[in-house]
Amino acid sequence: MPIREKGYYKWDGELKESYIKWLPIFINGIKEVFRKKRSKLLFAFSAFPFFVFLIAVYVATKPELKMMKHLVKQIQSDAMLFYSFYTFGSLVFFMILLSLFAGADLISTDLKFRSFTLYLSRPLSRFDYIKGKFSIVLFYLLLFSLVPGILLVIAKVIFTGEFSVPLYVFLSALIFPIIISLFLSSLILMISSLSSNRKFVIISFIAFYIISNSIAGIFQGVFKSDYFLFFSIERNIKQFGSLVFNVKPDFNAPAWISLAILPFLTFVFIIILIVRIKRAED
Amino acid sequence: MEKIIELENINFSYGNFKAIDNVNIKIGNGIYGLLGPNGAGKTTLMKIILGFLKPSSGKGEILGFNIKESSITMKKKIGYMPENDCLIPGMDGVTLVSYLGELSGMSKQEAIKRAHEVLYYVGLEDSRYRKVDTYSSGMKQRIKLATAIVHDPELLFLDEPTSGMDPQARKDMLELINDISSKEAMNIIMSSHILPDIENTCKNILIMNKGKIISEQQISDLNSKQFNVYEIRLKGDIKAFREKLPDCRIERGEKGVFRIQLPNDFTIYSIFKKAYETNVQIRYFRQSKVTLEDAFVTAIGEANAN
Repeated sequence: MPIREKGYYKWDGELKESYIKWLPIFINGIKEVFRKKRSKLLFAFSAFPFFVFLIAVYVATKPELKMMKHLVKQIQSDAMLFYSFYTFGSLVFFMILLSLFAGADLISTDLKFRSFTLYLSRPLSRFDYIKGKFSIVLFYLLLFSLVPGILLVIAKVIFTGEFSVPLYVFLSALIFPIIISLFLSSLILMISSLSSNRKFVIISFIAFYIISNSIAGIFQGVFKSDYFLFFSIERNIKQFGSLVFNVKPDFNAPAWISLAILPFLTFVFIIILIVRIKRAED
Repeated sequence: MEKIIELENINFSYGNFKAIDNVNIKIGNGIYGLLGPNGAGKTTLMKIILGFLKPSSGKGEILGFNIKESSITMKKKIGYMPENDCLIPGMDGVTLVSYLGELSGMSKQEAIKRAHEVLYYVGLEDSRYRKVDTYSSGMKQRIKLATAIVHDPELLFLDEPTSGMDPQARKDMLELINDISSKEAMNIIMSSHILPDIENTCKNILIMNKGKIISEQQISDLNSKQFNVYEIRLKGDIKAFREKLPDCRIERGEKGVFRIQLPNDFTIYSIFKKAYETNVQIRYFRQSKVTLEDAFVTAIGEANAN
């Protein structure tokens, strides 16, 4: 036993006062997600919508190239470019996959292995813990939505040789992915806090998304009212996008309702998450 | 004596169940044992001191920090080794310990260096790069101690530190605790069901029952206490003799010697009388050395009688 040779000796360092107490959770979480099996494959596929739009932006500046006609026609205005990119089916699909991949086991594993005690016996509040976990999912969602959005702006400037993107479109291109990423992060973390079973978390998240779309479709079909489409997560995202980018609404109902629904749901998910963490901690 | 923990009129309830009932304690430097039957409120009291739970009433200071206002800051100076298995799967020993060091406020480099030191100290140097989820229960206990001391706290809470360990591993763990304590490196509060562990490690004990502190004493004072504990060797119908003393705690020791703890209202004469009544011969009789278990049983018995 080493103790017999050396014995305990005190550490002569000093604990620092950090303003971002959750930073180690964030850094460790980023590494852990990156180390997961098939992470590189998912990341490669998640970057696919960006490359499609990058080519489309390039082609739009070169009318002589007769490629991707439908998409090029769709993105003639800057607002339509970003609206189409952020509500592009495959981008939303990959954002859902990224949410599951990065967030499904973030809290459920801590529940399963009773790790809360380890975190909360450190100088961390439960809000620091939640912020740390949130930041991990947000990082990956923004990496494949906000960052490609900014890169598209830069690409457009490079291809056209001028900064022609209106300020409101540029700001919208920043705000929209942040709000959608916050929404998806809060949803996956809330579900992750409900069970220690990762499979349950994944199934619940997908079911929530699919069922919301199905219910909206059924009610809209039965009652012939587009207002029922607000039940759908997917349609809310599109409707919210149309409001933010000031383009034609996705369906015939006031778009501001989606502006209220998404932040409201985000707030509710966060409250449930906080309550769950508090219960687990007790 | 420097006050490490001072609690005044602390109360806490889980719904209608009063888990902590008006607890008042003052704890100074050194190593304290926290004893009590299951459900006595030991873990709840620890959680209140650690800032995991907010007391419904009362006030207190830990290392000079107010438990209600500075619970986050004070955790920098507190180490906690929980009773249950709790770890972060997928991490190796060094990563886990350094990660928790970083969360305590250490720089990354310092945390890694210190993680190696404490893992060496607790005897996990050969397994430090193994995933913690593959550790045996004894190794998990050791790594929990390593995570609790990585940031060199001033106050260390050990909740059942020898739970699930084989005799050798238990001996090693107690040796580590004694080493930390003997160097006055940190103040320790240790909760355990294994009374000899407390007796061999702690200088002071607190006994809890039904959410209250019912006894607070120094281990060295135990011998001066008068408990009715005797060692006797018997010949005859021992079963009948035991049945005649239903309120006494009787344990069979080595070489056929029994330890009998009599209630306070019993005298030595009652032993001889019962032996006579059951036709049992007393071949050996002497007053026994008082153990922590005697003090514990007496304190709990008195508390329950009240």
